[in-house]
Amino acid sequence: MSNAKDLKILEGIAAGDEGTITAFYKKNLPYIKGYILQNSGNEEDVEDVFQDAMVLVYQKAKTDALVLHSSLQTYFYGVCKNIWRNRLRKNKKIVRTDDLSVTTESVHPAIIQEIERNERDHVYRKYFIRLSDRCKEVLSLVFEGKSMKEISGITGYSETYTRKKKFECKQSLIHMIEKDPIYKELQQILEKK
Amino acid sequence: MERTPEIFEKIEAYLNNTLSQDEVLAFEKEIANTVELQNEVEKHRSLHQTLSDRDTLKFKEKLVTISKKIKKEEEHSASQPFFSSNWRIAASIVIILGIASFFWYTFDSQNRTQELYATYYQPFPAEDITRGKPITELQDVVSSYVNQNYTRVIEALENKANINDQYKLYLGNSYMNTNTEQKAILLFESIPEDSPYYENSRWYLLLTYLKLGKIQKMKPLLNAIIQYNGLYKKDAIRLKEALLD
Repeated sequence: MSNAKDLKILEGIAAGDEGTITAFYKKNLPYIKGYILQNSGNEEDVEDVFQDAMVLVYQKAKTDALVLHSSLQTYFYGVCKNIWRNRLRKNKKIVRTDDLSVTTESVHPAIIQEIERNERDHVYRKYFIRLSDRCKEVLSLVFEGKSMKEISGITGYSETYTRKKKFECKQSLIHMIEKDPIYKELQQILEKK
Repeated sequence: MERTPEIFEKIEAYLNNTLSQDEVLAFEKEIANTVELQNEVEKHRSLHQTLSDRDTLKFKEKLVTISKKIKKEEEHSASQPFFSSNWRIAASIVIILGIASFFWYTFDSQNRTQELYATYYQPFPAEDITRGKPITELQDVVSSYVNQNYTRVIEALENKANINDQYKLYLGNSYMNTNTEQKAILLFESIPEDSPYYENSRWYLLLTYLKLGKIQKMKPLLNAIIQYNGLYKKDAIRLKEALLD
């Protein structure tokens, strides 16, 4: 059911095209905002949910794994709505309104499972991008599996400094993640299992 | 479990398969006997898995930047109606009164910004010289910089093509210390957002504006530095509070 316009938007999102993403953001944010604010959310929740849904669409579009059974807008609202309902459920809060003109069929059950699985990843990314540039630079190389010697060669920092910085940055990242309420909920669920 | 650099190194070596067979066996035994260590290893494993996807991280960063831009645009457009209605007359009166009081205020506030500048300005620290590399001309520049011989730093770097961002910070700080702030501003602004020195460049740009007493220019920078939540956050909050006093 996807039309040429939707496919073009998906291509732009997959390519990281700023113009396409900005236009999509501006057009759709007010709807998501209305829904989340009416359902116990705040401005930060709106941004988080919207961006997490965009990341999901990006990952799917990039690997050609997105098959739309409805318009992109309907699909996207469905994803946002499910992300938010999922978070509310974890916080034991009730959805007051379903007014987002989305039918439940617009989001495949497999996507709902994927939303659940991606929750932890969203938390990781959220805090990683808040780190200083230097931390991001060092940790990105660590996550790529590079040794201290290699990182030192790439960045020009001494090995001692790289080692020290890597520990400080990773420790600070883990601390931020562990304080996040969604992460805490996920850990509790995991422990119960 | 206390987190130490040694534990992190061990876990990373284990995840990167760089431990010897004996070390792997010993470490796996340790993991099996300690639930906390088991959890810690899993935490690192999942972090490495998720955050090694740089494309998705870049996409997420792009979203954050776009969101900020949209908010800025919204704030800007929200302020427009004020000037497009009958409020114009009232605004004109306010502006006239404002200009009069500005001269009185400027005299007092200049002293205040200079005091704050003296409190917050510390030259951008020169980094330890990377071990095992020969002494180069640029390292001589670092020595001059450390010894506060700023004129010499400017002479050495000003006409050099393609200096890296770290040296731009040395040069910018040298300009700040030789009353050539406009050059410092241009230099700090030239450091791109994806540079590892971007956060530093924002801080020194902020301090340059502080030195010049340009408080309006400082506001968005202060907010951006606070939101960035990095090295300068605490100082930025204190400075913002001091400016609001």
